[in-house]
Amino acid sequence: MITVLAIDALEYTLVEKFDCNNLKQKYYGKTNISEFSEPRTMVLWSSFMTGKNMEKEILAKGDKEMWNTRLDIKDTFFDQFENPKIIDLPGFNYITDQHDQERKLLKEFFDVQSEEEKDQVRVEYNNLAFEHHRKIKEEFIEVLEADHDFILGYFSVADVIGHLNFGNRTMMKMIYKDLDEIAGSLKNQFIVLSDHGMEQIGIFGDHSNYGFWSTDFKDLDNPGITDFAEIIREMR
Amino acid sequence: MEYGEIKIPKEIISKIEARLEETGFESVDKYVTFVLEEVIKEVGDDEPEEVFSEEDEKKVKERLRALGYLD
Repeated sequence: MITVLAIDALEYTLVEKFDCNNLKQKYYGKTNISEFSEPRTMVLWSSFMTGKNMEKEILAKGDKEMWNTRLDIKDTFFDQFENPKIIDLPGFNYITDQHDQERKLLKEFFDVQSEEEKDQVRVEYNNLAFEHHRKIKEEFIEVLEADHDFILGYFSVADVIGHLNFGNRTMMKMIYKDLDEIAGSLKNQFIVLSDHGMEQIGIFGDHSNYGFWSTDFKDLDNPGITDFAEIIREMR
Repeated sequence: MEYGEIKIPKEIISKIEARLEETGFESVDKYVTFVLEEVIKEVGDDEPEEVFSEEDEKKVKERLRALGYLD
């Protein structure tokens, strides 16, 4: 069985800083996403699963519709497996109700005027993201015991929480430690992959222009996100 | 890792239990361990926690719009 821990916005420098040894595994580094004009989540995960740059195709949908992208399994490397299980991956089976609600609250945070109102929205936003994280974590741990030859669990918490809280070191460390614990619970060979990292703007977080990868079997150097379709095919 | 037991007031445990939902921690044990680790590491760690600023908010709002988060 091959497992991919797909972590949105997992930041290389924080994995180092917080000593997340399970996330680092034996080999780890940054991915090269310089072929993309911006580090957009939907573009990057769609490009990962198809093994080709999907920027033009995704951007043609427009900012609103791109979040509803659902690629056919035949257009992805998941099709190479007999019984794959994919959890909440953008561009494939993203849980749109949840993530639409997150973006709605994000917009509301910027729309309200007073700091008090912003604090209220931030709490609601954080609670929504943490609750979803717990559900995804529970589902991921359950499917690890099932009969799948490929499992991909997508964890959005570092990205969603990071946008409004990246300067809150304690909160980010808590999230990274939890993600590290999830990686530590995996028994089989796995890849950790992020679409992009995150850089700090005061208390907030913006996408950085590189991602994170790790394996315990091969030094991948500075791979593109589109290289992973072939890397995973070769692992079969 | 080996574990030991400590005694803390039930009142504190109740307060932590009430906060668990909004922290992402699964248990009081994990929460307390994390907080104690942070306190222990605090000595010599002079990195300040960031606070809200309107200038930062404006910058990140523009970036999130460019990334498609805010239509």
